[in-house]
Amino acid sequence: MRTLITTIGLLLAASGVIASSDPAPAAAAPAKAVSKSTADHSKFKELQKDFKDGPEVTEACLSCHTEAAKQVHQTQHWKWEFLNPKTDQKLGKKHVINNFCTAIPSNQEFCTACHVGYGWKDDKFDFTSERNVDCLVCHDSTGTYKKPAGLAGHAVYKDMEFPPKSGKIMKAVDLKKVAQGVAKSSRDNCGACHFYGGGGDAVKHGDLDSSLKQPKKYLDVHMDKDGLNFTCGTCHATSGHAVPGSRYNPTAKDTDKHIRGKADGNPATCQSCHKDAPHQKGAEAARLNHHAEKIACQTCHIPEFARGGRATKMLWDWSTAGKLDQDGKPIVVKDSAGHEAYNSKKGDFKYETNVIPEYVWFNGQVDYTLRETKMDVSKVVKINSFGGAPDDGKSKIWPIKRFAGKQPYDVGNNQLVVFHTYGADDAAFWSNFNWDKALAFGMKEIGAEYSGKYAFVATEMSWPITHMVAPKGDALACAQCHQPSAGVGRLDQVPGIYMPGRGGNPLLDLAGWTLAALTLLGVLVHGGIRILASRKHQA
Amino acid sequence: MLKIIGGFFAGILATALLAWNMAGGMMFQERVSPFGMEETVARIQHNIQATGNGWALSGLRNPGKAVEADGGNTLPVMMIEACSTKYSGPILKEDTVRFLSILMPCKISVYKKNDGKVYIGNMNAGLMGPMFGPLVGGIMQQVAADQAKFLEFDPTKPAPPLILPKPAGEGGGAAGGGGGGC
Repeated sequence: MRTLITTIGLLLAASGVIASSDPAPAAAAPAKAVSKSTADHSKFKELQKDFKDGPEVTEACLSCHTEAAKQVHQTQHWKWEFLNPKTDQKLGKKHVINNFCTAIPSNQEFCTACHVGYGWKDDKFDFTSERNVDCLVCHDSTGTYKKPAGLAGHAVYKDMEFPPKSGKIMKAVDLKKVAQGVAKSSRDNCGACHFYGGGGDAVKHGDLDSSLKQPKKYLDVHMDKDGLNFTCGTCHATSGHAVPGSRYNPTAKDTDKHIRGKADGNPATCQSCHKDAPHQKGAEAARLNHHAEKIACQTCHIPEFARGGRATKMLWDWSTAGKLDQDGKPIVVKDSAGHEAYNSKKGDFKYETNVIPEYVWFNGQVDYTLRETKMDVSKVVKINSFGGAPDDGKSKIWPIKRFAGKQPYDVGNNQLVVFHTYGADDAAFWSNFNWDKALAFGMKEIGAEYSGKYAFVATEMSWPITHMVAPKGDALACAQCHQPSAGVGRLDQVPGIYMPGRGGNPLLDLAGWTLAALTLLGVLVHGGIRILASRKHQA
Repeated sequence: MLKIIGGFFAGILATALLAWNMAGGMMFQERVSPFGMEETVARIQHNIQATGNGWALSGLRNPGKAVEADGGNTLPVMMIEACSTKYSGPILKEDTVRFLSILMPCKISVYKKNDGKVYIGNMNAGLMGPMFGPLVGGIMQQVAADQAKFLEFDPTKPAPPLILPKPAGEGGGAAGGGGGGC
């Protein structure tokens, strides 16, 4: 067959050569690539003006896309708020205190660079305004639209010095060009925030960083730029601007049995495409599918995270923040790889690449330690706890990133605190390095009781690992759990499982081997006696 | 008599089997590093530079890059290459042992294993050297002594920066030519 195709190809090529030897009347112009979109936004009369700011662009967008802002208003991307139906906890960035930058209140102007809106600088932000919706941050295809931290979600409309007092000038964005170039959201759009969560590239998630903008196959088989080339939206299939797949209410075990397009479940689970018996070929397929009943796909297929050459932050210790040099200036110390190991504004850090995940039972329920929660500070405080057990029928073993932190808390009330980090005022920690002022300001901002005394508590936060899916040849092999050559099995710390090849009782093993040896000895002795007796009998 | 001869040969066989079994582990050494990947590499690099005796860094390889380029994954591996002409010169000048140039430059490997720990692997120069005669044996004893200094860490000192090689092409585990030593 291949020979036939080759022959036909050669004949066609030869005919092409013959044809091209004829004098051509004129060189044929290369066919212009036809856009897959039905609209060329550069031709829209609404987008022919010089826009003065982002909201003005939004008004132009809404003149055609009349329902878009209303849809966005319903999303977590807009509200930064989520009521967990399983726990009744009010979550979302607006409410949760994490152990990275900690909390939004009193720092909105800085944090809302990643909000899909304009102007959220304090608690007076109008969440009902349609013109406050930022269409461009998700639909810019020019790569020129940036929202620097500190501008309350606005882009740069006039040339400005940024960062302030740096002497560097950030050029104003050409809003007309950006508006005319809008397109379906790409990896770059989503990544502009999600790859840089926690204050820098790869910092927060561990499985999301800028290496996924143009990933190669080794990093992610689905997003491989030369292969399947999935965008984020391929899995997080969006409808009416609602993006599925929130980590506040994750799907740990997909039991919907749906496949894509046929049900209303979470389309971002592995099962939504691969179903729940994904291994079809090979002698071990049935055994692997049996494993998949209790083990999340991610456990085997994401053997390590932060594999794209970007180190993820593994520790953030706020308790050491605030040290200044002899001239009273902030200090930055770098580690061997050039990452910040210490920054006066933020404290000590630890980074790591190619991190081997920890593994836990997870049933999709996540309980948060909220600001109101009374803590036991004698133990490491879990900012979020993953529910799950081996026998609840809802859990699977999941890989997670365990992020360690140390952050301030109210000693008088044993509660987490909100503190003011960013701002031009005297209370901002990044300006004056004074915890008392920063904490008093932050707590007053949210109207919460504060004893006035603070200390630092060890915390940890868990992040489910679900991106950076390795090629199947790099999935965990049997030995990495059952007979690890490094001595430590991947699932050694997971409770409630019997791992063949691991976790044996040495005394029981000794007893078993002794019995086997005695049996062998008995057989030999018995056989020997029989042989001797037989010889005697013959003699 | 037969028993004595039999016992003698059985002893030889047992010794040979034992040597065969242990040789691999003796030729190379492996230890756990108290630091992360980059810091381990950086500390070794700076130790090499501080050791004297003509030692210089001649490269830093990442063999995993070639695997990545081929669509696969490996846990991190970095190979530090160092050379001293004081030691390499006499060996390279002697025809009978010039084949040992395949062991040059001196390599120390830093890698992560599935237990999450960072390991350091190196050749046991002190043991291997004497197998190739007095010239190589003598030199390798000195190399072994220097190698021990490469791996002496002072945790009270801050983490030094990695010494990155000059670009010499990405991928394929290409060596970054430091250009020093050999």
